[in-house]
Amino acid sequence: MNLDGCAHLRSFKTRKGTEPFRIVHSYFIIAASQEARKRKANSCYCHMCKQHRPRLHACLHCVFFGCHGARHIHEHARVKQHNLAVDLSYGAVMCFSCGDYVYDRELETIARDQRRKAAKNGQVKELCCPWDPTSAEIELLQRNPKRRKITESSTIGLRGLINLGNTCFMNCIVQALTHTPLLRDYFLADRHNCQMEDNANMCLVCELSRLFQEFYSGVRVPHIPFRLLHLVWTHARHLAGYEQQDAHEFFIAALDVIHRHCKGQNSESETNPHHCNCIIDQIFTGGLQSDVTCQHCRCVSTTIDPFWDISLDLGSDDARNNNNDTVNRGTSSGKLNGCDNHPESTTLTDCLKRFTRAEHLGSSAKIKCNACQINRESTKQLTMKKLPLVACFHLKRFEHSTRYHKKISTYVSFPQYLDMTSFMSSRRNDNGYINGTIAEINSDNNRYALFAVVNHLGTIESGHYTCYIRQHKDQWFKCDDALISKATLQQVLDSEGYLLFYHKQFLEYE
Amino acid sequence: MADLDDKKPRDMRMKEKINQKLIETGEKERLKELLRTQLIECGWRDELKVHAKEIVKERGIENVTVDNLIAEVTPKARASVPDAVKKDLLQRIRTFLSQQPGL
Repeated sequence: MNLDGCAHLRSFKTRKGTEPFRIVHSYFIIAASQEARKRKANSCYCHMCKQHRPRLHACLHCVFFGCHGARHIHEHARVKQHNLAVDLSYGAVMCFSCGDYVYDRELETIARDQRRKAAKNGQVKELCCPWDPTSAEIELLQRNPKRRKITESSTIGLRGLINLGNTCFMNCIVQALTHTPLLRDYFLADRHNCQMEDNANMCLVCELSRLFQEFYSGVRVPHIPFRLLHLVWTHARHLAGYEQQDAHEFFIAALDVIHRHCKGQNSESETNPHHCNCIIDQIFTGGLQSDVTCQHCRCVSTTIDPFWDISLDLGSDDARNNNNDTVNRGTSSGKLNGCDNHPESTTLTDCLKRFTRAEHLGSSAKIKCNACQINRESTKQLTMKKLPLVACFHLKRFEHSTRYHKKISTYVSFPQYLDMTSFMSSRRNDNGYINGTIAEINSDNNRYALFAVVNHLGTIESGHYTCYIRQHKDQWFKCDDALISKATLQQVLDSEGYLLFYHKQFLEYE
Repeated sequence: MADLDDKKPRDMRMKEKINQKLIETGEKERLKELLRTQLIECGWRDELKVHAKEIVKERGIENVTVDNLIAEVTPKARASVPDAVKKDLLQRIRTFLSQQPGL
């Protein structure tokens, strides 16, 4: 096969040029506009059998559509001596004199340009085409003949981080982020286009990009993340200084800064201008549905809020204090008293069940009901409306009250694989029968796999963060600042988790 | 056309209507693109590519046409589309149709 077409196509081009192809391709193959699609829908049928059949071809010589299956386009070509036709699914040119499709560089370029233009305007999707290295790229490849191959035993991607003075809170989060599969793919594919051109060395996303390069460069000596620390201090002032910080707080602050630095870069989506499309929101954002049900009229008012993480109470033995006042689950203000009764052990699933169960808001926290128009007692229930691609569970081990601050060392068992189906809004909604059946079918889609665990050792006053990360699908490593050591899955699951990172096993197509 | 339409069986007219709706809304292109991605991801495309290459190698490039190739690989190609992919596509078409008024 070559790109010079055939003698018949060449002679056709000298007589009529490329205009006939251009028109057919633009109107009936790309059909970018609404009218064009309408026209395509109404007129693309075989002129002989009057049916919409697959593999429809358009004659390049005259206005005629014929199907390939019943050989109507062949018949037309023979009777009228019109030997060239365009396949209307892919745009390939069939030469009936040669008896095969022929490929012409000029026509291929026209087709590609038309598609690119339409894709740019967001009218059609750009077809994924195989990588065609440019001469510059070929030269680069030849000058750098060393190819890195990842094997089961390769340690690429593992790198210790020097502690710069109580910076283990940062190191453990960096380890978790650099081993987040989708984030790694994004940065190693060099997808970040800096939005802070005049001040690029202040961009945290650029720094993260460099960090990924460092991690996956194959170098084994620990990396010194001083630039990152400096940027964090600059952009999140509350974390500046050499004091011990909370890893969870750092994680949220880091996401926030990265998210802000991504702004402007495809931040608007077609459907919703307020919806951010940055890599952080694509990966970490989920939707939490809050249903407040009036106890008088049973009327439900629903709000959906985005979230980056889920903070979970570890529960207490005294079966929930009698006044049911844990309204603010975001803070632990609900439980000022009787906090010594933490259970010895619980499970992540139990924590999630507690998180998503309907809760009576109590007589002291009446909320105005939209239907009754007066303040009523109500119940509130949180459920997952939209699952994030990466779910971060924050176990609330640090308890701050007016009287004391303490760490709860309750053992929380967490699974390697987690199914979130039973915490979905579609499941919990009594009136959402249709949603329920859909969730049923796609329940595989709600499965998650563990890939990183951040642990805190020590007390609330002084302690140390370490992190377990997953590599090569099923190998686990413990990252303790500059030290990396091999770990078993059991060690990970037995550890006192503080932050648990899960990623979705099935990704939806956008 | 009215006369012609009346003579066609009912389900055939329905099929055409659905096809037109799918094209008009651009849904057909979206689904095709999705299907393409899924078939690449599950390895179907690579497997078929190897198969096609073998046929070409065996016969010599001069003796194979696209139509020959299509005729030869189609049975295997059809049979090896994973059920999950077919099911997903069917579900998506169903969902799309249920959202269309006047169908």
